[in-house]
Amino acid sequence: MTARMLPHERIDEFVARLMQSAEVVAPRRVEVADVFYGPVSSPGEVAWDYGTAIEPLKRFLLPQRETMLRFSTDGGLKVEAECDERERVFLGVRCCDVTGLGVMDAMYGGDIPDPYYMSRRERSTVIALTCLEAPEETCFCVCCDAGPFLTEGYDQQWTSLPEGMLVEIGSERGEALARANEDLLAPAELDQIAARYRLAREAEKTFGDFKSYIAGAMAKLSMNEVDPEVWEQAAMRCTECGGCTYLCPTCSCFTVTDRMNGSEGVRERHWDACLNNCYAREASGHNPRPERSDRLRARFFHKISHQWAERNGRQACVGCGRCVVGCMAWAHMPAVTEGIRRGVMT
Amino acid sequence: MSNPYLPKIASIQKVKPETYDTTTFTLQLDDPTERKAFQYRPGQFVELSVFGAGEAPFCISSSGHGRDTFDLSVRKVGRVTDALHEMGEGGQVGVRGPLGNSFPFEEVEGKHILFVGGGIGLFPLRPQIQDVYRERDRFASITVLYGARTAEDLVYRDELEEWQQQEGMTCLLTVDVGAEGWTGNVGVVGTLLQKVEIDVPNAVAFVCGPPIMIRFVVQDLSGMGFGEEAIVTTLERHMRCGIGKCNHCMIGDKWVCKDGPVFTYRQMKAMTEFEE
Repeated sequence: MTARMLPHERIDEFVARLMQSAEVVAPRRVEVADVFYGPVSSPGEVAWDYGTAIEPLKRFLLPQRETMLRFSTDGGLKVEAECDERERVFLGVRCCDVTGLGVMDAMYGGDIPDPYYMSRRERSTVIALTCLEAPEETCFCVCCDAGPFLTEGYDQQWTSLPEGMLVEIGSERGEALARANEDLLAPAELDQIAARYRLAREAEKTFGDFKSYIAGAMAKLSMNEVDPEVWEQAAMRCTECGGCTYLCPTCSCFTVTDRMNGSEGVRERHWDACLNNCYAREASGHNPRPERSDRLRARFFHKISHQWAERNGRQACVGCGRCVVGCMAWAHMPAVTEGIRRGVMT
Repeated sequence: MSNPYLPKIASIQKVKPETYDTTTFTLQLDDPTERKAFQYRPGQFVELSVFGAGEAPFCISSSGHGRDTFDLSVRKVGRVTDALHEMGEGGQVGVRGPLGNSFPFEEVEGKHILFVGGGIGLFPLRPQIQDVYRERDRFASITVLYGARTAEDLVYRDELEEWQQQEGMTCLLTVDVGAEGWTGNVGVVGTLLQKVEIDVPNAVAFVCGPPIMIRFVVQDLSGMGFGEEAIVTTLERHMRCGIGKCNHCMIGDKWVCKDGPVFTYRQMKAMTEFEE
């Protein structure tokens, strides 16, 4: 599976072909500067020069609210499930978000696959877009082995070179897509592949304002050696808004609720947030995590402990920096990992 | 891809009130093929749907031996259980499962078996008590210690009487708060441990009850010399999916639904969120 070159002037044609057989989800400029991933209606809509998208990709695979079952209680109970079977191409996705998908895959796949997530995921093609420099000052993928270039997890990885996009192939699906469009592609030259590695090294040097000491925090969390004061201090700041969990590419907790209209009903699932007071509260009123500090500890343990990294194949922070942007209380991943390391929140 | 969220339809065969706020519902899956395939072990649970009210996890409270129905004993305490208590015989519900792991059985063969239950913590222990008693020749002895807040809170009253009378089993009861008409023991369930002879090195204890009861009984048992592997409990947590996806039941690095609900005391101690 060799790398190819896609000349700049042929990119729109490539995207147009993708759009013929699939929904193409790509970065789009929604407001002046706000970029969101969303379905594009023409190749010109793709914002190739964006920094990061305001939200990760997860809502396309795990919608904020989705119907799991439809049921009818009229004349004998009937229950049906439905799955989304759209073909999708995720195009121009930042490496952190591609890595986040990998974590979600581990959570929603496994020995009991989640049919709603997996039916979408199996029909998805992922084309990553590398970062030639840190897109935002809040980016810290370099601390998380999640960018600015990837070595795995994508179907194709595109890097913008002066003469076009270098197309790296990461899977059979990515290779099949290249083969189907071979007339638009040329084999990549060795010096173009060398340029990709040079650009990756240079890109890494542009990160650094926000560091996240994942490894050190992971060791302390995993051994249960975090000073409890750190959680108390983080809890004083956190307002339990749940923003970090909704913006996180790997936060995937959900809750389930039934809604009825006469004898017809639906069972829906909604994103949930482990920081919410009621998250673990039982019907009896007993709450195993009554304090916000308990909930913060549980969240960070799930994100970056060695125990969960082992279960998910890697730790769950990808350094996208969205929690840094979204947290109004400075209780985001880099702040907390530094707090864990120092034994005090600064 | 099979859908683990899709419930099977079951009908309520029997409704038996246990106490003022608990009821045992006997369920049978409607589809004969599904009914036959529904094999479970003591300790496992199901996700029960009362469509429109929602879904919640309940331990299966009867042995599966020789019957194609199963019991769920339920306290009326929230939206789903309120709606369930409104239903009568013939009512249709949804069932997913059996889910979770189960109590060790073959592994504890030859041992003295001690059950310590508090309140509705007897629900998940009952299938194991029934199975162990049925095959009592395979175990050295069977002891059931059961306590509830008041005499009105004791569940399975008929069966408790049988257990107290039948050969091959010791069953002692207690209530936290005595009242007129109660002539039995008064005190928390841990106090019953002093009233029975237990060959601790060859015994295994199955414990279930409210969190505070579990904590004190585990302390008592450890004090008596029970090893961490010889104390087995079953935990409950708020759950949505029952299959390790929604994460509500997570304790440290474990899902109660998928890694449990049955854990040894050693496993519980290894959970980073566990409080002694």
